Amino acid sequence: MSNAENLLQNKQLANHTKQQRLRQLLARPDIWRAANERGHRRNGIDSGYASLNALLSGHGWPRGATTELLIDRSGIGEISLLLPAVAEITRQGQIAILVNPPFIPYAPALANAGIQLEKLLLLHPRGWKEALWAMEQALQSGCCGALVSWQGHRPTSDKDLRRLQVAAREGDCLHFHFRPLSAAASPSPAGLRLQLGGDGEQLTVQLRKQLGGQAGQKLHLARSADLIRRDRPLH
Amino acid sequence: MLWLCIQFPKLSLEVLTRAQHDSAQPQAVVEQQLIVEANRPATERGVETGLSLATACALCADLQLLQRDMQREERQLRQLAQWGYSFTPIVSTQPAGTVSAEGDRFACLYLEISGCLKANGGLRPLLQQLRRELRQMRISPLMGLGHSPSAARMLSQLPEHRHWLQQTQTPPSPQQWRQWISFSPSKLLDCDNKTIAKLYACGIKRISQLLAIPLSEVGNRFGRGFVDYLARLNGSRHDPMPCYQPPAEFHGELFFPSPLDNSEQLLFPAGRLVRELCQQLQRRQLYSHQLRWKLDFGRQGCKVFSVAVSRPMLDPQRLIALTKLQLERIRLEQPTQALSLTCDRLLPLEENTLDSDLFDGENQTQRSHQLLDKLVARLGHEALSGITLKESYLPEQAWASADTLVLQSHHSSKGHRLQPIQAPRPVWLLPRPDKLQMRGHKLFYRGEIKLLQGPERIDGYWWQHNRHSRDYYIAQGEDGGLYWVYQDLGSEDWYLHGIYS
Repeated sequence: MSNAENLLQNKQLANHTKQQRLRQLLARPDIWRAANERGHRRNGIDSGYASLNALLSGHGWPRGATTELLIDRSGIGEISLLLPAVAEITRQGQIAILVNPPFIPYAPALANAGIQLEKLLLLHPRGWKEALWAMEQALQSGCCGALVSWQGHRPTSDKDLRRLQVAAREGDCLHFHFRPLSAAASPSPAGLRLQLGGDGEQLTVQLRKQLGGQAGQKLHLARSADLIRRDRPLH
Repeated sequence: MLWLCIQFPKLSLEVLTRAQHDSAQPQAVVEQQLIVEANRPATERGVETGLSLATACALCADLQLLQRDMQREERQLRQLAQWGYSFTPIVSTQPAGTVSAEGDRFACLYLEISGCLKANGGLRPLLQQLRRELRQMRISPLMGLGHSPSAARMLSQLPEHRHWLQQTQTPPSPQQWRQWISFSPSKLLDCDNKTIAKLYACGIKRISQLLAIPLSEVGNRFGRGFVDYLARLNGSRHDPMPCYQPPAEFHGELFFPSPLDNSEQLLFPAGRLVRELCQQLQRRQLYSHQLRWKLDFGRQGCKVFSVAVSRPMLDPQRLIALTKLQLERIRLEQPTQALSLTCDRLLPLEENTLDSDLFDGENQTQRSHQLLDKLVARLGHEALSGITLKESYLPEQAWASADTLVLQSHHSSKGHRLQPIQAPRPVWLLPRPDKLQMRGHKLFYRGEIKLLQGPERIDGYWWQHNRHSRDYYIAQGEDGGLYWVYQDLGSEDWYLHGIYS
């Protein structure tokens, strides 16, 4: 009698642990289920652009993952795309770090975008090895909210990107990495890959890859009206 | 009064060898061709104190000889005094005598411990803690307890007393002390060899015999100084001691008998120094913003580096980790003979500045400080910067580079905040304006660029020689990029100054 009861209980327990394991597995961010598509969590960080949020699976920039931005020239509004999210992070009291920015980040413009300048840190490590170490430390630390990095002279290897992606997941940090368009053909471990282009009036964003979401869509974001307003020529 | 005397019989050896792991090589300290002290492997082969150099080398051919360093010993004794000061405020030191001076005496430390028994949980736990910490510092002590410093010093030389001290729970009564003192042999008296020889010649082998003689008789025979000493020993007269006052700094040094040529090997001794520092700082409730390390290459000079700590931190593990990051950057060109750690400007610890909170383990600011410390230690100060606004008309002077460590610590917003100019400004500023090519009435920068908006005239420093007067425009390139360009009104040249990114 008691043996039979035991058996029954054991069976229930085994079932229970199986279910638990399944649930753990499904909770992983890299498993995408079509059934979940409608009711999934909005755990992303608001990008500040409603149309972009709608395309992203987390309704915002993915937290704890690398976002790769493929771009060939500057001046098309690529930083303005990130500024609202970075500004929000600094307002929350977290640090934002720029690693190897190609030019001087201009304080008045950043302050106008709402960034708390005392939370912004610039890093200029001497070599790629040092830069990689610093980025990994910052991403892991858990106190850095957003990290924006630019690829140095050497192309970023797949292994390095994977390290950064893992570090970003550990620290639950937003990571944006700028790479040239030539890297678009090679596969990448990044959670989100965006290809940026533009004609001056608007910024074109093309989703190349998205973990747990659809890819391939294209989006046009208009630039600030203040900038593209055309005055009557003087001459 | 309860005086504890700690003698350091092997200090001359330990000060030179305590940085290394236990070595199997026989080592001995030499002064004026005489062996002062030998380590265990050497003693096992018959090398002992007082032997001449030739005899010692004959006994043990591979004996490593180390020259005695009195200055280093003195520094070590001062450091020990500082260590003792963390237990009791009444501390006194007595340096060691040289071999040639009469009466070979060891360096010793006097602690008045009657006031700190309660805080340390009684006599036995206190003595155990002292012994344990000395063992960690790898310094061997001889301890004696007495009602006056002279008595404590004498009793520390009495093996029976030391044995009793190992087991005792409570300090002895005055009678017990009298018994200890009278029981001691006369050779333990702190006086020159001549007096001791005279005592033995008179047949006075124990102090009890000496105390039985009337003091005036003793005075006639051995002089007033000796009578005075006896009275201090007895407790019938005050026994004044120079009191030690600790300086507000820390200095620790480790010497390597065989120089180290690998920076990884330095980690172990560095860890020992950091632990000693943290112990001191914690007891005195101080902290330091900077650890200054010095690698001594002997004749080849030295190398100094410092580890900056942005917040008060007394955790040795973290300080060691920061030091490790610095050491990894250093390439040792010469073998290191000594490693020293100095912290001057020790500041009092305030209640709300301490890093480790009892309740919430680690908060956001602490973690960001740790991250910044780590980055500074590995990348150097120059690799980190922040930016701030500056009040200026000139665009290139409207921002400034800021010290990140300063800007992280003030949380409350200051009364006056600078407001940025309310005009479209580019996110990227070129470090130096880039001259644009001009052909016909067209401007070129990676293709033709067209002016969209402008001009915005900025005319700064017209009261000085280097007048800047410029007309700024927003321009669009062929490839769609938006640029911030200006025309210098003096030379009429065009420049690219920023990128609307």
